[in-house]
Order: sequence, then C-alpha cells, then structure tokens
Amino acid sequence: MSDSTLRGKVAVIGIGMSPVGKVPGRSPLWLAADASKKALADAGLDKSAVDGVLSCHAFASPFHRFSVALSEYFGIQPTFSNTLQVSGATAATMFNIGAAAIQGGLAKVVLVTAGDSLMTGLTPDMALRSLTESRDQQYEMPFGIPVANTFAMTAHRHMKEFGTTAEQLAEVAVVSRRHASRTPGAQQTKPITVDDVLNSGWVTTPYHKLDCSLISDGGAAFILTSAEHAKELGIAKPIYILGGGECYTHEHIFLMPSLTSTGAITSSRKAYEMAAYGPKDMHVAGVYDCFTGTVIMMLEDLGFCPKGEGGRFVADGQMTYGGQIPSNTHGGLLSFAHPGMPGSFFHFHEVIAQLRGQCGERQVVGAELGLVHSLGAGFATNATTILGTENTL
Amino acid sequence: MISSEDAKQKPVPSPDADSAALWRGLRDGVLLLQHCDDCRNVQYYQQGMCRNCGSESLTHRAASGRGKVHSFSVVHRAPGPAFKDDVPYAVLLVDLAEGPRMIRTYTGGNPEDVSFDMDVVLVCDAIDDETALPRFRRA
Repeated sequence: MSDSTLRGKVAVIGIGMSPVGKVPGRSPLWLAADASKKALADAGLDKSAVDGVLSCHAFASPFHRFSVALSEYFGIQPTFSNTLQVSGATAATMFNIGAAAIQGGLAKVVLVTAGDSLMTGLTPDMALRSLTESRDQQYEMPFGIPVANTFAMTAHRHMKEFGTTAEQLAEVAVVSRRHASRTPGAQQTKPITVDDVLNSGWVTTPYHKLDCSLISDGGAAFILTSAEHAKELGIAKPIYILGGGECYTHEHIFLMPSLTSTGAITSSRKAYEMAAYGPKDMHVAGVYDCFTGTVIMMLEDLGFCPKGEGGRFVADGQMTYGGQIPSNTHGGLLSFAHPGMPGSFFHFHEVIAQLRGQCGERQVVGAELGLVHSLGAGFATNATTILGTENTL
Repeated sequence: MISSEDAKQKPVPSPDADSAALWRGLRDGVLLLQHCDDCRNVQYYQQGMCRNCGSESLTHRAASGRGKVHSFSVVHRAPGPAFKDDVPYAVLLVDLAEGPRMIRTYTGGNPEDVSFDMDVVLVCDAIDDETALPRFRRA
C-alpha cells in the first residue's frame, strides 16, 4: 500500500451529539451546532480552530448550502467547505473526504456535522413525501414508490434466492432494540420480540413497521485533524481513519446489477485494502440499518459471513455481544434514532466511542478496530470507513 | 418547500429531452425501447446516448410488453397522502422479454396474487389526455 493513501494520516479528535428522538422547537441548524459545540469541547478546542466544514442537506431546512449556513450560524468563516449529497452514504464519504482534504492541505481542522428534524420539523406525511421526492421524477415517483419499497424488493429477492426468513429479518430489530435499551437517550428502548415485529403491521412487504427505522430529530458532529496535529494538541485517545472506500453502482433500482449483491462489496474491499485489515479483524461495526433486511445483506457484503447466510448469522447471535461482530451497539437507525442524513453519524459516534473505551455497560471489551458502512437510495450509494486506535497503526 | 396541498396530488411525469419519445409512445399504447445500432445494446430508460458504447445512433422499437416478475413488494403504507386511497398496491420489478428491467405497479388483480417469476404483460393506463402510465397485469 502506497504512502499516499489516507491510512493513519488523519484522526478523529472530538465527537458530539445533540439530544435525539423527539426534540421539538429545535432547527436542523441548532441540532448540528449543538453537536458541533460538544465535539469541540470534547477535543478541547475553540471554534476558531476550525478551518474546514463538511455537512449535508437537511429536509427540514431550506438551505441549499447547509455547510455554509451552518458556518454563519455557528459564527465561523472556514476556508474549506462543502454540502455533500449521496443520500445515506454521505456520512462515511464525509470522513473519507474530510481526511483527504486534511492530507491534501486544504484544511487543518475539519468539522463534520449534520442535523435534521424529521420528527417535529415536518409532519410524518411530509417526511415520507420528502423521501419519495428523492426518487426519479419520471420513472418512479408517479407510481407511488417510496424508498422503503426499493429496499423491500431487495430483501424480498434475498428471501427467494437464499431462504432468508421473516423471523431472521425480525431478529435484527430485536437485537437492535436490546442494544438501544442500554444507550442513554435512545428513542426506543422498550424490549421487543420477533412476534412483536411480525405483528406490527405491514409497511411494504416483506417489511413490517418494526422492520423499518425510526423517524427522529437529532444531530452529530466530529472534529478531524492530522495525526501530527492530534499529537501536538495532546489528544488523549485519537481514533485514526485507516481506510475508506465508496461504490456507486446505479441510480435507478431497475438498473441495480443484482438485487442481492451490492456496491458494499467493492466499497468495503477498497477500505479493507487501504487499512490492511480484513473483516475478521474488526471488533465492532456500525452497519447502516434503514431496514432489517439491509443489515443482513450488508453483513454478507462487508465480508462478515458468506453470501446468503446473513439471516442465519444474525439468528445465531453473531451481530451482538459474544458474536463475531457486535454491530450497532447503540441501537442503530432501528432503535436509537434516524433523523435522515445524520442517522449514519450516530453509527460513527458509537464506533468511535467503543474504540475509545467509553461505552460503559455497552462496551465491547478490547475493541481496537471498527468499521462503519453507510448506504442510501436503494443501495445506489455505498461508503465504508475503517477506524482504529493507535495500537492498530 | 413542499406544501401539504401539493402532497395530495400524484406527481405526473414531465418528459425531458431524453425521454419525450418514450412518453409519446406510451400515450399511443406502446413501450419503446432503445436499440443501439452500433453495439446492439437494448436499453431502458430513454437517454440521448447508448449507456454501453456512447453511440447516439439509437432506434426506438416497440417492446413486446411481455415480462416476468423479478421481485415485488406490496405497499400498505402509502408514501404520502396522494397514494393513500390506492393501498394495498404491488410494485413490481419486471424483466422484459427484450432484456431490460422496469419498475412498475401491478394492475387488474389482487396484489396478494403476485408471485416471483409470474408472467405479466404491459398495460398503458391513461391518466389524462397527454399521459399514460405503464403498468403490468397478469399475462
């Protein structure tokens, strides 16, 4: 691996999140700014240290240039900024791009942040409508095809090809809820069973209500800087970006090369190659979980189990404590919170906190290497980031 | 911003420079596919160049309208108020006999009857004088 890659060059030195779940009376800008304040405090830095800002669109905010609006709101004038949009995959791309900008000298300290208020800033119908509006105006929208439906068709095909069962899908929701029950501030913490999921009513087959992620308010933020600068600042436990990869296989679901094998295979392979670690080396993962079946397919495509065995892998307890890869230990989009674009940032927050050893009773003992996978738009967009402690460099 | 009033209306497709012929064809009851004269790629949706080789020498030919269900999902919770009265309805991914895959809704039958590999045939469903939406019914 050449020295020009990102491996180990950039560290996350601050993390923060706003209150999540139902947060009435707070705008997307406030949610992002509140998280940003906390991330800076965590890093021990003043806002004047930030010279780069990356963010993404908020459904409940009218700003096209959210990163620029946020800088004004937060009272800073960065010299590197962008508002990125590759749907749910944007979170991991922001870590990759922020790291590249630092390594390339475009910025020294980058604030990566997102905030949105899908729960109280929009009515539920408007929130759903916002999701359909990201679908193609000619070939999808006129037919009433919500984004949930495109994911549902991939899961349905997975069930047909590999015998994945509704109970196995439901198990993902059950495990995520159990994880959330130990996470302070999580939106949904009441334990559920497989039967609860199967009896929660259809949304779009094969998905029941409890197979689907939440609709929430919330924001998260991270401070990135070079490994050298992290040392100069005396950061106690920097978490390093070891590898990043992305893959964009299609825009329209009907041009997805295979409904059951996704761009996550390529994005994660690129990230593993850069990190010089493989899936068996990971101790903890944040796996984008907009729907239960999404997790089963991702556990396969990220290399944690063979293709077609994701359902059995989950049912065997392999995605929780004591299993092969404890995943979404905060509860994920299914139970912690899903405010849209910020959703995947909570996976980053959790994996970084796990690698720092700050997760209390949720702590995965000895976690040194973690993977976060973000995806969106019916698997159109995939991005993977691998993170590690100093010991893993 | 989207107003609640707008959200009650079903979106109507607005053809663009790449797709005007497709929507004219559907209004006239045929599904046009683009056949590349240079590499013989058959493509859907409509665009100004071949997705495979970049050639702009594309011929529109009417599809047979026959296909098989590759995957499907029955929508029970509508994506917004415009589709609330339509549920439950089945969304299909259909592999056309000519090769390309399309996403469409099922019509003319109980959505619960849809199955994998079911044979389906195209129906052009006129929603106004200018526009017909392609859907599929059981063959």
